[in-house]
Amino acid sequence: MLGHDPLFVFPKDKLVEEGSNVTICYVSRIHQDNISCYLEGVQIYGEQLDRSVSAFELKNVSFIREKGTNVFCKVDQGGVLGGIVLFVSKVLEEPKDFSCETQDLKTLTCTWDPGSDTGLTKQPSQSYTLFESFSGKKTLCKHRNWCDWQVAQDSQETYNFTLLAENYLRKRSVSILFNLTQRVHPMTPYNLLPKNVGATEATMTWKVHSIGNNSTLLCQLELLAEGKVIQQSNVSIKVNGEYLLSELEPDTEYVARVRCAYTNHFWKWSELISQKFNTAEAAPSEAPDVWRNLKMVSGHPTVSLFWKPLSKVHANGKILFYNVIVENLDKPSRFEVLSIPAPASSTELTLDQCSYQIHVTAHNSVGPSPASVIVVSGDPENEEVEQGRVNGTEDGFSVSWKPQSGDATGYVVEWCDGPQDLPCVLQWKNLGPNTTSTVISSGDFRPGVRYNFRIYGISTKRMAHLLEKKAGYLEELAPSDNPQVVMSRLTSHSFTLSWKDYPTESQPGFIQGYHVYLKPKAGEQCHPAFEKTVLPEDSVCCKYTIDNPEQKTFVVENLQPESVYEFIVTPYTSVGEGPLDAFTKVTTPDEYSHTLIHIILPMIFCILIVMIICYLKSQWLKEKCYPDSPNPYKSSVLSLIKSKENPHLTIMYVNDCVPDAIEVINKPEGSKIQFLGTRKSPTETEFTKPACLYLLPTEKNYSGPGPCICFENFTYNQAASDFASCGHFPVTPQAPPHQLGPLTSPENLLKALEQNYMNSLGEIPAGEANLNYVSQLASPTSGDKDSLPTNPPEPALCSEYKMQTAIPLGLASAPPSENSSLSSTTLLGQGEHCR
Amino acid sequence: MRAQCMRRTPLSVILGLLFLSMTATSKCLGKYHELLLQLRRQADLMQDTSTLLDPYIHIQGLDTPGLKEHCRECPGAFPSEDALRGLSRQGFLQTLNATLGLVLHRLTALCQDLPEAQQLVGLNIRGFRSNIHCMSQLLRSSSEAETPEPTQPGPGPTPPPTPPSDAFQHKLKSCRFLHGYHRFMHSVGQVLQEWGESRSRSRSRSRRHSPCRAPGDTALARPCRGGARRTWPFRRDRRLMPRGQLPR
Repeated sequence: MLGHDPLFVFPKDKLVEEGSNVTICYVSRIHQDNISCYLEGVQIYGEQLDRSVSAFELKNVSFIREKGTNVFCKVDQGGVLGGIVLFVSKVLEEPKDFSCETQDLKTLTCTWDPGSDTGLTKQPSQSYTLFESFSGKKTLCKHRNWCDWQVAQDSQETYNFTLLAENYLRKRSVSILFNLTQRVHPMTPYNLLPKNVGATEATMTWKVHSIGNNSTLLCQLELLAEGKVIQQSNVSIKVNGEYLLSELEPDTEYVARVRCAYTNHFWKWSELISQKFNTAEAAPSEAPDVWRNLKMVSGHPTVSLFWKPLSKVHANGKILFYNVIVENLDKPSRFEVLSIPAPASSTELTLDQCSYQIHVTAHNSVGPSPASVIVVSGDPENEEVEQGRVNGTEDGFSVSWKPQSGDATGYVVEWCDGPQDLPCVLQWKNLGPNTTSTVISSGDFRPGVRYNFRIYGISTKRMAHLLEKKAGYLEELAPSDNPQVVMSRLTSHSFTLSWKDYPTESQPGFIQGYHVYLKPKAGEQCHPAFEKTVLPEDSVCCKYTIDNPEQKTFVVENLQPESVYEFIVTPYTSVGEGPLDAFTKVTTPDEYSHTLIHIILPMIFCILIVMIICYLKSQWLKEKCYPDSPNPYKSSVLSLIKSKENPHLTIMYVNDCVPDAIEVINKPEGSKIQFLGTRKSPTETEFTKPACLYLLPTEKNYSGPGPCICFENFTYNQAASDFASCGHFPVTPQAPPHQLGPLTSPENLLKALEQNYMNSLGEIPAGEANLNYVSQLASPTSGDKDSLPTNPPEPALCSEYKMQTAIPLGLASAPPSENSSLSSTTLLGQGEHCR
Repeated sequence: MRAQCMRRTPLSVILGLLFLSMTATSKCLGKYHELLLQLRRQADLMQDTSTLLDPYIHIQGLDTPGLKEHCRECPGAFPSEDALRGLSRQGFLQTLNATLGLVLHRLTALCQDLPEAQQLVGLNIRGFRSNIHCMSQLLRSSSEAETPEPTQPGPGPTPPPTPPSDAFQHKLKSCRFLHGYHRFMHSVGQVLQEWGESRSRSRSRSRRHSPCRAPGDTALARPCRGGARRTWPFRRDRRLMPRGQLPR
């Protein structure tokens, strides 16, 4: 038995039921102690019976797999392996729900719930045998949960079946006793068809499989619409069934279904058979619900007609178009017919001032609906109706109104579903004449949106009159935004706030007023009109409440000059106020600033006026103050002289002078004088600075300081310092007093200059016609070193004079006198020492 | 389970017969490289352990420590890679064909254990053998002008069914067999890879060596015992016998 295996484990391939206790042993030929045994990889511990035999008891074994539970032993380091497969079968269960039935009284079909499959590699699945005790017949079932049994031809009515389930380990059985005719389960009916389908009626036909001879079946016909059973009928038939369905809706889809049962003894309904069908269309049964909206377009009354699509129940088919007939009541012979294809639900009519009766009908393929009639007038509606408020609830808006005085045939409540800033989707609700309140509900209503309702009364002439207007919120909310506040009239003690553009009607609640918050400067108390409050961020604030929503200005007063304040204006509704987030800062000015402004502004204005005048009189000023060519007669020197009223000072006229000699002394910086005799251009004559004129005596030996007259050359803007540099005038002592005298005085000098100037204008005497006229020369802007004289003048303390000078041509080329020790040039002969 | 297996058998038989008829009637690929590529791809597919070995180990509960390591190929059950490499091309193909025939037979016995995988692998093996047939024809036609191949003995008779062993031994033997089968197909793929690399060398070697007969012993069915080694009679040439010894 053990064979030659070094490690023999047994029993091999044992088959047990789940929950059994199993003992497993091994016999080892190698007599080692290091043999371990495992159950599905988990080590198990047993009892060592002797040195080479050990036993392991497995209790309550469970099913793991069809291929068996692996139990093996091995020598720990020898590679020797021995094992077994323990086949654990599930416990065979008793068949449940065992029953038999027949569909045709010829074959019985028995079914049951077999429970768990006990099949293993070692054991096939359990088998089932059907045994009938009265006939003593039995059959081995081919399927594990059903079995067919042929009904005997000897009219056996009662059957006693025993179902036997068995496997290698166990048998289980269950029995039933029944009468065959009480176990008839008819087959499913077939050929269920609609016949003669109209708008409100249809006939259903079907067939059934016959059961035996002349057997009757009870069939149940159900009619379903939109998944719900709306009609149920029972019909007894043999083979063919038929039933007339009535009270059907036109153009509606229905489902008819039929099931049947054996009439002699009800056992089970057959399976259902279903069939869909559609009823035919009929003319719409109800007039469309019509409403209108009147408005003036380009001066013409325009009516917008709206109608609601007919419900499926009333449309009785697919609406193809709407007919709108407009009848002029003032001119009854005039009609206008409009055909508007579906699914349009509105149209617009332009009318005149007449009254019109409008008929609207809906048409399907069968015909028109009853007409909906409405009368409109071209006169504008009376909008002078005060607007009230309406409260919103969870169910909607509860709108009520005063009944119309007189005979009203009904009322209409009109509103827009969307917010005010969206295009209006006009909605309306028709109400009876005795109704004075209604609840307007809509899934489109939103909290925080203002809805406006208009209640119309319908007169007996089918004309609508506006009765009331109401506005309300389904749920009021606190304002989400604050108004844009404009601050003005800022003074040291007050400023004005204004928010006139704030639209109260588009807010998420009825605006009840405004709160003006003012943050005072530190330590300052709130004004008595203000209320002290604490803001959410724990800062103290003064609050003023404006309880009039139409008041949109506020003057903040009693402020301190030169102080910083912060303010905010927030509206409030019944729910709360707007956000307190963005305060605006304002600084009050000091008390005198406005006074200063009253002074400074006029001053600036005056200065501006003066500047403008000066600008306009600039030419006059130029000639007056700084002419291009100095005019001695217009020189300021004259005014100076006159102003000083010095009788000893006068202008020296040239004609009055006896020219002796004029010496022009070059400046020490190397300025040079070019004479006409040198044939140089006068423009080449350079002077570095405005010069003074020195009147020199003819005495050669004169070397001491003498009187010197220095003329300021206004053209060259002689600096005062240059005057100061005129420390001496080298005047010849032998000069005649009559010549010297006048020249030594400013008056004489000016006179001479005047005369010279007059000569230069063409009043030169004939005897002097040969004089060349030398104009004043400006200082060169750039030095020309090459043109400098070979003997540059010696530096002198006085500057040269650049007055216009008449120079005899004969002298122009005379060489410089040797007496001119200061490198001066003698220009004139005797008697011509004035310029 | 047996009934289930029996139900599947007709389908597999029909598919197998259909495949065999296709191989018998269909024209072989005349291009050597295309045929070789197809053989190599099939060998790659058949060496994949997820097709047979892995599901078998899982179903039988052998994927536990202590058992899995005993699921190793028995030395001598299948020709080693060296032995295959040492064969002539015709000899290699004949050996391959005969070995796969035995594998197919053994897989039929495993039908109860691996009903679905066995069916798929059976189809693969039949297709592979068809390509072996074509390759053998191709090689034979090219070598007819040269030295004629000696007649190859066909595979031996189908081994008689082994005496019924216990279920535990049966599990291990089947597991080892499948392991050996996948290893063998891996070796076949390696040899076919070399064929593609050097056909001329293979030809010369084919001429140099004498053909060997196909395996026909019952090594596949024998239990794997420690130290037991079997030789695979690839060749009549005694000189080459050691090369036919099966690897461990």
